[in-house]
Amino acid sequence: MDSLRNSLQRLDPRSGHGADEPVSREREGNRFAQLRGSDFVESIPFWLPATLLVLLFVYGAIGWNVAISFTGWSGLGQPDYTNFTLEMYRQMPADQNFRASLRNTVALLVAFTSVSLVVGLGLALLVDRKIRFENTFRTIYLLPMALSFVVTAIFWSWMYASDGLINTTLAAVGLEALAFDWLGDPRFKLAAVIFALVWQFSGYCMIVYLAGLRSIPDDHYEAARIDGASTLTLYRRVIIPQLRSSTIGATVVLMVFALKAFDFIYVMFGDNPGRSADILAVTMYRQAFSASEWAYGAAIAVVLFALALTIIGPYAYTQYKRGAL
Amino acid sequence: MADLTLDDVSKVFVENDGNEITAVDDVSLEIDDGEFLVLVGPSGCGKSTTLRMVAGLETVSSGEIRLDDRVINDRQPKERDIAMVFQSYALYPHMTVRENMSFGLEESTDMPDDEIASVVAEAAEMLGIDELLDRKPDDLSGGQQQRVALGRAIVRDPEVFLLDEPLSNLDAKLRAQMRTELQRLQEELDVATIYVTHDQTEAMTMADKIAILDDGQLQQVGTPLECYHEPENLFVAGFIGEPSMNFFDVSLDTADERLVHDDFDYALSAETQSALDGTEALVLGIRPEDISIGGDADDDHRYETVVDVVEPMGNENNVYLTFEEGDGSETFVATIDGLERVEEGERVVAHVPEDAIHVFDRRTGRALRNRRLESETATEPQL
Repeated sequence: MDSLRNSLQRLDPRSGHGADEPVSREREGNRFAQLRGSDFVESIPFWLPATLLVLLFVYGAIGWNVAISFTGWSGLGQPDYTNFTLEMYRQMPADQNFRASLRNTVALLVAFTSVSLVVGLGLALLVDRKIRFENTFRTIYLLPMALSFVVTAIFWSWMYASDGLINTTLAAVGLEALAFDWLGDPRFKLAAVIFALVWQFSGYCMIVYLAGLRSIPDDHYEAARIDGASTLTLYRRVIIPQLRSSTIGATVVLMVFALKAFDFIYVMFGDNPGRSADILAVTMYRQAFSASEWAYGAAIAVVLFALALTIIGPYAYTQYKRGAL
Repeated sequence: MADLTLDDVSKVFVENDGNEITAVDDVSLEIDDGEFLVLVGPSGCGKSTTLRMVAGLETVSSGEIRLDDRVINDRQPKERDIAMVFQSYALYPHMTVRENMSFGLEESTDMPDDEIASVVAEAAEMLGIDELLDRKPDDLSGGQQQRVALGRAIVRDPEVFLLDEPLSNLDAKLRAQMRTELQRLQEELDVATIYVTHDQTEAMTMADKIAILDDGQLQQVGTPLECYHEPENLFVAGFIGEPSMNFFDVSLDTADERLVHDDFDYALSAETQSALDGTEALVLGIRPEDISIGGDADDDHRYETVVDVVEPMGNENNVYLTFEEGDGSETFVATIDGLERVEEGERVVAHVPEDAIHVFDRRTGRALRNRRLESETATEPQL
């Protein structure tokens, strides 16, 4: 468009004659008109304010956090930006709490993601079999996802309480031996959290898988039946392999969520869940806001950020390669 | 190798509100070993449902489907020894061509892997897709995917081949080419084949036998030429042939021995009249290629007409004629030689020879008199 406009201006007979001075002034005027006419300039009022705000509050904050992690800032007072060190990162490997929470974070990440995917896939396959009340089931399974984590954390802590629903039920059916102090016993703490999170997120996986299943034409099921595949082989060899992109999408979302499952654990246990259920997000909060170890908290935040990038990075890159971004 | 028999097969779908819809109504068919049967009819006539019942993808509401003497109604698809090609091809997108073609053999037979590989390679070579074996379906053109779908069916070496509108996703040129190729392939394999299509050209050109369905009911089964020249009813007469047969609503005037139409009278010979058996409400049918142009309007069966539209096809012209100038009057079509020149608006004389007319009972649609064929080659079908 602009080039067309330029060439039209060049063809304009008025811009060719007169003394030198008026011509150059006219040229300047042209450049101004050109600039004013370009899509880029005209669109500035629409995207610039939002972009500046995002740059400042998202990327600016991340940058500031990284800067703080290189200082030794703790307690009251101001950070000293004149002397950057890697001291905080050096402390990490020796810190038992950090190591425990990193281990728990990875365990949560892997267990929560894989179990949610499997449960979600199972639900999706069942709901997809043209059952009665399909919509009702779908809503029931998805409902936990709509609840706030604070709400679900509170009600799971009631369920897990020593006289809570789970233990009462176990006692009622004569399985007292299996009634444990779920949230107090270090052996079960993390598993209890993972179980509750799976309960909340498998509905989401179900929806993602259902969408994937719905995009597979009926012909594939029928062709496989004619080819002689049993129901199990049909799913194993024909249907589930076609759900690859659903799996990848859901995995990325679940993993990123698992990294920041802060609110759930914070509501259940407060800022110190103990080594068996501590995760990086809670450790970060505790170091920064309870112990006022600002720089150390910031360094843990950087580690979390890096973990999130390693999960999203490859996904974003392949999506970009495929032209989906 | 086996014969397939459908005996009074019906399919009734029950809707959620309890309404019953009869998709296939008492269809009886016999397909001999090696025979190519084309099931043809308009959309929603029940042809695909019939095929799916044979495949075992739909249950049979009543009647029997037999392969030789075995009733296969309640058998699972994989126990029926059939192979099917879907309209969408239904290739598994995550598998290579080779895996797509081997899948059925791996699942339904105990064949060792090396034997499967050699069968697949052989079929691929036969279809000219041996170069594509390691590619995924998404990387193939429509025609190549079509061949893979055929290959997948061929390797199974089935008793019956089922093809559900396999050519409808191809462009016109490729479709014509695949038509011949499919025929050649079927002859080579010599397997009973049911081919479903809504395209009467495919039906005419490929079939050993055509079965025409409308509204779930079998209208006629016969060779393509039988269905073309001796249609059993109005539906078959109108469905087979392109352009369609011309129909005129007429009534019989026994006193004057003629058919009376608003625009013309048609004198009948005693022989034709006896075939009509006194039925008064009739439909007169004539194929476009049987109408010729020229001659004297005073003769019997020759009528003064006006050319409304001319569609030049190259080898022939489709000439739309009316009895009167002006809008609203009924047009009928005549197919004449491509080199014969006729101008729009020109007055011409159309000849409707009596030996080529069909007469149908207007109430039942049944054919009372079909054209007489002096010899089989009297008229080549116009497609």
